[in-house]
Amino acid sequence: MTRTSLTERYIAATIRSLPPDAQADVRAELQASIDDAVEARVDQGEGREDAERDVLNGLGDPAALAAGYTDRPLHLIGPRYFLTWWRLLKLLLLIVPACAALGVAIGQAVAEASPGEIVGQAVSVALAAIVHLSFWVTLVFAILERTTGGKPMPAWNVDHLPEPQAKGAGLSELVGSLVFLGLAAAAIVWDHFRGFAFAGDQWMSVLDPRMWPWAVTALFVLMAAEAALAIAVYAYGRWTRWFAVANTVLAVLTAGLLLSLLARGELVNPAFLEAVFLDNGVGQEVLRILAVLMAFGIAAIAVWDVIDGWLKARRGRR
Amino acid sequence: MIRVSEDEILETHLQELRRGTVVLACLRLLVTPGYGYGLLEELDRRGFATDANTLYPLLRRLEKQGFLTSEWNTDEARPRKFYRTSAAGIRLADSLTRDWLALTRAIADLTDPET
Repeated sequence: MTRTSLTERYIAATIRSLPPDAQADVRAELQASIDDAVEARVDQGEGREDAERDVLNGLGDPAALAAGYTDRPLHLIGPRYFLTWWRLLKLLLLIVPACAALGVAIGQAVAEASPGEIVGQAVSVALAAIVHLSFWVTLVFAILERTTGGKPMPAWNVDHLPEPQAKGAGLSELVGSLVFLGLAAAAIVWDHFRGFAFAGDQWMSVLDPRMWPWAVTALFVLMAAEAALAIAVYAYGRWTRWFAVANTVLAVLTAGLLLSLLARGELVNPAFLEAVFLDNGVGQEVLRILAVLMAFGIAAIAVWDVIDGWLKARRGRR
Repeated sequence: MIRVSEDEILETHLQELRRGTVVLACLRLLVTPGYGYGLLEELDRRGFATDANTLYPLLRRLEKQGFLTSEWNTDEARPRKFYRTSAAGIRLADSLTRDWLALTRAIADLTDPET
């Protein structure tokens, strides 16, 4: 008989996920309630089969009804945990995939993988990190949501307000970058004429003398442009999109200059390498790895500089 | 962007306002023992329209919280679970009623500032 089978199927679907000790009771009560409702509709002249269908449709999804019986949430992460989950996930996604990708890229570069391979590996590791992070963090919070009952999270108070962020256009930033650029320029000049490294029994340059005059001139021009940018930002009072563009161009040019010098072996003084490393038993292999790490260091500083400029420009808009 | 009609917005607000009144109505009505479907009809008749899938879990929850007691009645052809408001349930209903009346006065003051 279809009549009993529809209702029975509905009841079975409802009580399946209930605790065993409640199942028999809910079954009997739900059976009676459905029968009562069908009976009432039949008394008003509706066909028995239609009445049953209407009553069961009115009761809705049996899984939702079962959730009502057991106080089970019908969401993955509710309002109690949502903000904590979202903040933690954002923080982790900001840090972990970038670190994983960088680590893999360095490893691949040291192992002399091709540039395409390095990028491919780094991207796939970053993607895997994003997927894993999102999944596991969400899983932990979904379990928390279902196991901690009604325990509230620590209440929010004003101490949790984000710190007001500096706009990066103050006097201290200007002084800081001018002092840094001045010291760097002085160090380059000092390194050339007097030398920074004491090896053997004499002072020698750390930077390759072949950088003079052209590469060093280019470097000084870029540094002067950096200084001009810092002054312009201070004068204007805040970072803008155009300052960020200029900052990006300067960072890319500087990194490009240093990386090309490094790749041609014209960044670090060969005599210095010989005196400090090779003469002390450090092999070429180690020097190669140091060069790779240095290249990543230069690139990382440039990338951070670019991002920092855009972040300041965004903050300056407000 | 989905446009929500004014009727739908009104319906949401009314639902928010009515939430909780069903509990009070059940506690009052079940001073005389009653069973699921009978109570559903009674609520409907008295102007507390409720869905069956809201009421049935609610009755069990109130029973678990100790505001209702239950008993199976097998005297008739169809065995039914009868609920009755417990002493704790009556106390709860009194508290809720006091709050409801206070709210009613407060709202009346809002609509009728002169009095």
